[in-house]
Order: sequence, then C-alpha cells, then structure tokens
Amino acid sequence: MNGLSRGKLLLAAPIGVALFVFLVLPYLTIVVMSFRVPSTTAAYAPGFTIANYAKALTDELYIGTLVDTLRIALTITVICLLLGYPVAFHLARTPSRWRGLLYGLVLSPLLVGVVIRSFGWIILLANNGVINQWLVSMDMPRVRLMYNEFGVILALVHIFLPFMVLPLVGAIQGIDPKLEEAARSLGASRRRVFLRVLLPLSLPGIQSGTILVFVLACGAYVTPMLLGAGRVHTTTTSVIQLLEQFLWPFGAALSLVLAVVGLLAVALYVRLSARWMRGLA
Amino acid sequence: MSANASLGRGLFLALVTAVYVFLMLPIAIVVALSFNSARSLSFPPQGFSLRWYVAFFQSEPFMDAFVLSLWLAALATATAVLIATPAAIYYVRHGGRWRELFRLYVLAPLLLPEILTAIALLFFYYEIGIGTKTVVGLYIGHVVVCLPFVFLQVTASLYNLSPSLEEAARSLGAVPLTTFRRITLPLIKPGVINGALFAFIISFDNVSISLLLKGIGTTTLPMQMFDYLRWGSDPTTAAASTVSIVMTLGAVLLVDRFVGLRAMRY
Repeated sequence: MNGLSRGKLLLAAPIGVALFVFLVLPYLTIVVMSFRVPSTTAAYAPGFTIANYAKALTDELYIGTLVDTLRIALTITVICLLLGYPVAFHLARTPSRWRGLLYGLVLSPLLVGVVIRSFGWIILLANNGVINQWLVSMDMPRVRLMYNEFGVILALVHIFLPFMVLPLVGAIQGIDPKLEEAARSLGASRRRVFLRVLLPLSLPGIQSGTILVFVLACGAYVTPMLLGAGRVHTTTTSVIQLLEQFLWPFGAALSLVLAVVGLLAVALYVRLSARWMRGLA
Repeated sequence: MSANASLGRGLFLALVTAVYVFLMLPIAIVVALSFNSARSLSFPPQGFSLRWYVAFFQSEPFMDAFVLSLWLAALATATAVLIATPAAIYYVRHGGRWRELFRLYVLAPLLLPEILTAIALLFFYYEIGIGTKTVVGLYIGHVVVCLPFVFLQVTASLYNLSPSLEEAARSLGAVPLTTFRRITLPLIKPGVINGALFAFIISFDNVSISLLLKGIGTTTLPMQMFDYLRWGSDPTTAAASTVSIVMTLGAVLLVDRFVGLRAMRY
C-alpha cells in the first residue's frame, strides 16, 4: 500500500519539482532582489535595504506612472465590457447557423500573436498609415492616432476583448431565456428586462471578465512599447527600461509594487461587487 | 413602439457587427498587405505579388528566427506534455486532501502575470549562474508557461473517462503501466493532442517571456518581428506574420479534423 501511494506521488513529482525550481525559487529571487542594494558596476551590491520600496512609493515620477497604468488598465476594462457584452449576448442567444463561425471569429485573435496584432494596428494608425492616408485623400487633416495613449488603449482593447467575451458568453448562456420572456410578458420594457433580469444574473461573468482583462492590462508591455514607442509610460515599460539599464533591485521592487497594488485593486473590487451580487447564488 | 423596437434591434446588430469587424480588421490588413507589390506598407494594395514572401524566406535573420521558434515550440510542447500529463492523472484519479491546492500550484504560471514570471526567471538564472548565455533559459521559460494548458486539456478528457474501464483492466490482471498504455492513453489521446496544440501555439507566439530571457543570438520569430517593428516596419514583417498565422491556423484545423477541437475551460 505504501509502495502504491508512493507510485502515485511519482506522477505528481515531475511537475512539483519543475515548478518549485523554475517558479517558486525565481519568485523568491525577485523578492530578495527587491531588497538588495543597487550598484552601478554590478547587478547589486552586498547587503539589504528597503530604499527601493521607499523610492517606488514616494518618487512622484513612479507614482504618477503607476496611477497612469491603473487608469489605462481601467479604461481598457470598461471599453472591453461595453463592447464585449453585446457580442457575448448575441453569441449566447443567436439561433443563426453561423454561430460556430462567429464564435471562431471571436476566438481567432487568440491564435494570432500579440506582435502581429500590434503590427496590424501600427499599419492602421501610423502617421502615414491606412487611416491617415484615407483622411488625406478626403482632403482632411492627418490625425495623430499612435505614439499616444489612444493608440495603446485601442490596440490593447483589441487584444483583450476575447478574454472579456468568453466568460460573459458562459454567464449569459446560463440564464434561462424564459426569465426574460416572463418579464416581457408581464409588461417590462426591453430596457427594464436588461437592467433588472439580464444584467444582475450575468454579474458573475462580468466579474470574471473584468478581473481577467484588468490584470492582463496591468501587465502588458509589448503593445505599449510598440504603439507607445517611448511616449506612453506605464509601470511595466519603466520596469523593462530599468532592467535594460541593469537597475535590477529597483526594477524588482517596482514590479512587485505594481503586482501588489493590482492585487489590492482586484480584492477591493471583489469585495464591492460581492455586495451587488448578494442574493444571486 | 414596434418601429422603435426594430430600430433598437437594428442598432444592436450594427454594434455587434462593428465589433466583429474591429476584431478581424488589424489581422486582415496584415495579411492583405503581405501580398502587396508596393515597396512600402501603403493602402490600398497596388498589385498582387509574392516578393515579400521571397524576401522572408531569403532573409537569414528571419529564417534563423523561424527555425528557432519551431524547434523551441516543439521541444517546449513535448516537455510540457511529458510533465503535465502524469500530473493531470494524479489530480483526477488520486489527488487526496491537497487536490485543489495542487491544481492551483499547476495553474500558477497561467494565473501569475507573465512579465513577473519572466523577470523572476531572469534574476534566478543570474543568481544560479547560467545567465542568459544559452537558449536553455528560454526553453525552460516556455515550458513553464505551457504546462497549465496541457494540464487543463488532459484533466478535461480524464473527467470524461470512466475509471471503471481502468479498474476492469487492472482486475483482469494488467499492471498499472499496461493499463495506462493500453486503456488510459488511447482514450485521453485527444485531450493530450489538444493540450499539445495549445502549448505549441502559446510557445510559438510568445514574446513577453522571450524578450526578457533572450540570450545572445537567440531570436525567435515574434522577437525578430518585434525588433523590426520597433525601428520602422517593412512588408517582409507582414509576410512573416502571415506565414505564422497560416501555420497556427493550419495546426488548429488539422487537430480539429483528426481528433476534434476542444474548447479551453478554466
């Protein structure tokens, strides 16, 4: 018996060891690194300090960037919800035989890498890109669509929208259409049915979708680098810059501050939304 | 009233259609411009040409990156399948008191921000002295982010498989290894293949891990495209993008045709 259970543990051992060595230990390393003393000649100097955190939490530049990061992530989340809800509703309820195809259409961006999708937006938004060429041909002035927050937000909404739609489709599919019909037959307007039946019952889906998109948006750095091109600063792009300059201890502290602040924001949101969702179960 | 309702319905469908177009537009435009004969990424395309595909397949940096990406994705996928499949069996069939904790542990690479995982690995490699001199660091990083996808797919297929089949084999005298080879594995094969497909695509498209863990001379295809785009864009990148889109789409369609595609459930 003992031999048998040891045999079973052997199944879990490879992944247990692999993730301990290449995930748990690295995360401990990043925590240790954030307390190390910065050095100009090596990755760090001997000894430990909390100066990195003090700087990350008091330096106006980095506080400002952190606030920008959260604001951008929140904007992306709200836009994804506003665009994703109608699509999710349509996907969940359409009797169309094209449903499978439409579902594939929503999922297919996930199969296309982030770089390629950012590239598509660069072609569209660049100063001599498709949209501006079209504007010029219509005798209209060029508009600056890229290298600013607008371009970064637009491209990230595109990249994260499928992550919003998927949980919403699941939640809306779980709502019995008879509930809506009943409300309608009792005289409720469409608007009222949406506000009093559909929306409250899909709150769990809204919650998972918004958390997923917010967390992903907080950690995005490839698209902000490509579409912001050094003119849009988020905490993640600052961290990448610090790593490139070998300012590792401060970079570690800054990335952990972002992670903890993001986590606190999500925890606060979960608490607040639990109040709205009470009585749903 | 009814006119009002149909107007609302029309607006709703217009909005939904607009979002579908929004989702496809940037991808469609990359593919369209890769066949453009013009020297720059101008729109509308000026004529059909395959010159950028020729340029892509003749470009040494792009070819080196493409080959490395394929090797890396294949090796990372194979490793992830070998490690995560037994873990899924453990979780579904044997996991005891710590079952849910074990699941969380395995899914951690998916739940943690990718950029943080990449930074953590970068520091860790430096501390243990392997640095980013070789491609090994990149390979390990890719395996770590691929593991949860294989685990989720195999777990799902194990749930659909009745344990009584395995019990029957064992009661007829098959040793555990034979039971696995003759009963379990053939029945969970679609799940394993689907997991491998997801892992391959995740690795092949990955750039946020790769950019931080790149060694000297290790450039994957998405990294190469990233570098090109940072310093201006040219149509060769569009051809590279299209090749990579066709590859992933081809893999998905092949798997769908031969074993059936399964949705990813978290």
